[in-house]
Amino acid sequence: MRDRLSDALRRSPAQYTEIRVERTWASQVSFRGPRLETATASEDQGGFVRVLNPGCGWGIAAFTSLEQLPAMVVRAHELSRAVRLDEPITLAAVPPTESDVVPDLDGDVRGVSLAEKKRLIEGYNGLMLGVSGGIVDTQAVYRDEITEYWYVNSEGVALHELRPEITLSGTATARHDGTIEKGLESIGLRRGWKSAAGHEKGFRDVAERAVQLLDAPSVAGGTYPVVLDPELAGVFIHEAFGHLSEADFVYENPQAREMMTLGRRFGRPVLTVGDNGAAAGLRGTLPFDDEGTPTQDTVLIKEGVLVGRLHSRETAARMGERPTGNARAISFRHPPIVRMTNTYIANGKGTFDDLIGDIKLGVYACGAFGGQTMLENFSFTAAYGRMIRDGKPAELVKDVVLAGNLFQTLDRIERIAGDFRWNQMGGGCGKGGQFPLPVTEGAPHVRIEEALVGGDVAA
Amino acid sequence: MISGLIDLVRSRGFQADALRRRADTTSISFESGRLKAAAVSEQAGINLRVVKDGRVGIAGTTATGDAELESLADRAAASADLGEALALTFPRNAPHPPVVTFFDAVADVSLDALTDIGREVMGRLARDGVQVNVTIEREVAETEVANTAGAIGAYITTGLTVAADLTRIAGDDVLMVYDYYTGCGMPSATDLDALVASILTRLELALRVVPPPEGALPVVFTPQGLSAILLPVEQALSGKSVLQGISPLAGKKGQQAFDIRFSITDDPVVSGRPGSRPVDDEGVPSAALPLVAGGVVRNFVYDLETAARADHGAQSTGHGARGIFGKPHIGYSNLVVGVADGPPPGETRVFAGGLAAGISDGLVVDDLIGVGQGNVSGGAFSHPVALAYRIEKGEITGRVKDAAVAGNAYDLLQKIGGAGNDGRWLSSRWSPSLLLEGVSVARR
Repeated sequence: MRDRLSDALRRSPAQYTEIRVERTWASQVSFRGPRLETATASEDQGGFVRVLNPGCGWGIAAFTSLEQLPAMVVRAHELSRAVRLDEPITLAAVPPTESDVVPDLDGDVRGVSLAEKKRLIEGYNGLMLGVSGGIVDTQAVYRDEITEYWYVNSEGVALHELRPEITLSGTATARHDGTIEKGLESIGLRRGWKSAAGHEKGFRDVAERAVQLLDAPSVAGGTYPVVLDPELAGVFIHEAFGHLSEADFVYENPQAREMMTLGRRFGRPVLTVGDNGAAAGLRGTLPFDDEGTPTQDTVLIKEGVLVGRLHSRETAARMGERPTGNARAISFRHPPIVRMTNTYIANGKGTFDDLIGDIKLGVYACGAFGGQTMLENFSFTAAYGRMIRDGKPAELVKDVVLAGNLFQTLDRIERIAGDFRWNQMGGGCGKGGQFPLPVTEGAPHVRIEEALVGGDVAA
Repeated sequence: MISGLIDLVRSRGFQADALRRRADTTSISFESGRLKAAAVSEQAGINLRVVKDGRVGIAGTTATGDAELESLADRAAASADLGEALALTFPRNAPHPPVVTFFDAVADVSLDALTDIGREVMGRLARDGVQVNVTIEREVAETEVANTAGAIGAYITTGLTVAADLTRIAGDDVLMVYDYYTGCGMPSATDLDALVASILTRLELALRVVPPPEGALPVVFTPQGLSAILLPVEQALSGKSVLQGISPLAGKKGQQAFDIRFSITDDPVVSGRPGSRPVDDEGVPSAALPLVAGGVVRNFVYDLETAARADHGAQSTGHGARGIFGKPHIGYSNLVVGVADGPPPGETRVFAGGLAAGISDGLVVDDLIGVGQGNVSGGAFSHPVALAYRIEKGEITGRVKDAAVAGNAYDLLQKIGGAGNDGRWLSSRWSPSLLLEGVSVARR
């Protein structure tokens, strides 16, 4: 393959050429209630070519038939030549690299039978079904994937990697009369078969919580001091701030550049935020991005002040900054765009108990059912919550929806505990039609001075 | 091509069906006013389902050479070994209705012609202080479906999408407005006029920010804003929801569940829409299916598997959809949402369909945040607005921020206050704006 790629590069008439080829073996086993829904193994393969010429734009070709590679290089070149630009696209420099990364696959999933995978997820599903008191439906999904990945470009980058991934997810639905509650477990790891075992507690816990939520009251809507658990805090920083720090949002837009001017204060000195594609062993971790730029730890907010953003080679060149290794594509079907990797709120000080000790009445919001941001506005649904009364966690509450304005909310983060953890969840991030991209989020417990909480927007 | 695969699995003694899809796309993107990239994509793949010893197995691949078909069949058989027993019956061959899905003008369009459309739209949307992006995508897709019971189907669709978005940032206020044209044929001058007008109207109305109203109010949901209201109903009309016991409409077939004027039809044979096709992805011929008529629940949609699992003799309604990977599932084709005595679509579309005129204090909801989050099935929703406008004394007076709307779709659809004259396709759903009464609107 390496020879085929070098050959295609050499023959390319374009000024700049990059080629990606991927082969993916995936299998999936899913249960719905006690019933097996699917047990399948699939193979996906294809290539991607992107070229640039002087005075011209990007020419791109994606294809599933690998014999077409030489022809596709020519197509991409012709497309690039058809796009005339007054202002040329330039790419920030990246050092030439040759790299062959075959990680410890931690038990190659390709050597494990579908039947074994079925037994594993059937076991987790059974734990959820076995929780008494109202579980009426479950969903449990095992998914694994190994991608063999090649990347070459005409500036001397040549990469070959094996990328393993394994995800486990569970949804337990509890019902009592008209009340329906859900519990969600989700685990996503850039690892192999050996890491799929040992997750019994997580599956059982979410089913038990779904049952407990049946009798829990809805949180009374209103403004409270709110403490986010590490999972929700991680989702919050990814959704509400991370996307704004992606340079493709600002690089062509003078008003957006102004809004995101480096040096602008976004929060109090307790708040430090970053994105680290090089953090060891996480789902968003890779040695290089899909433009051959090494990944790195990029600090975005340092002690409350905006100090960085995430770049591709194109956005970095345009803004006179350095590429950060954040140009990622979900597959050969797509061009790389600026994306997050492992996004975090850095550790603070003290324990969870310290954080809530002086809250007379507040909300402890835990886990995430979902979240969406529309630039400066966001809405997040916590999996569950607890009231905080007289400095202690009290009764379970449900329908905890946090909504607000990003700028106000970031500025109201007043305390951050010292109990940082990465949340190794499945799912993924979506942007520009590319979903799901494997990412990780991490945070400690975070306290927001005041936020609007409502399950119900009572009129 | 696909018949060879069917022969291969038949020779192994399996029943089977398969879908092959090949899609070629050409797209161009304009970023911040200039053409930045042109792209092509050529993708093909096969999805195979076998029934082996009464058990169902699935496999998919994008490696479609003859050599790979054996391994595809092996994987499908291995999947079936683990599968549950299911009395799946594949349809026999039957005539397919004529459906227009292919337009020469789209198949033959040049890159230059696409670029000209992009430049025109770009130029008409350009404004100071506003970033405009436009993408145009042309697709030509071949679909083949066949099974061991003899059903075969093959058709080619063309598709063209012109999407435009506009971002305006003023201080910390971020406003985004977008719309798109999509269809099997080329957009007419009227289609492009409507696209430009839709975006500019909503931009201009949004420049003034006004305080949100509060209380139980009349709210106009635009075709786009209606998604939050229609999502639970679409889910509930799926035979799979009925089977799983989570459809609030289960057992209500033949009963009045909505306003007497309200109807929903799934129409795969309408001419030239993205969901149009002569046959579904499981070889069942297409036909329009009334789901709700006169407010009465008429039908639920089924694919082969859900019909086989339903214990009341359900048949596939021709709503099997499948991708290259994973198993076939239920999917709508084109959903037509109507109101019986609603006005006919006007010559030029008026934003909110002219429904604001009769409202003294209310809201127009065009886009909400977080649709699909939480417990959709019960019909209850509660969302902050992404793009909404205030109505005062019959006029749209400006954009509201920091407001949220809540209600229950089933309650609200009991009484429809009116339908707009702005009925339109939004991808594969047609609807006018709907005026719904008593929606909770809260400031935050």
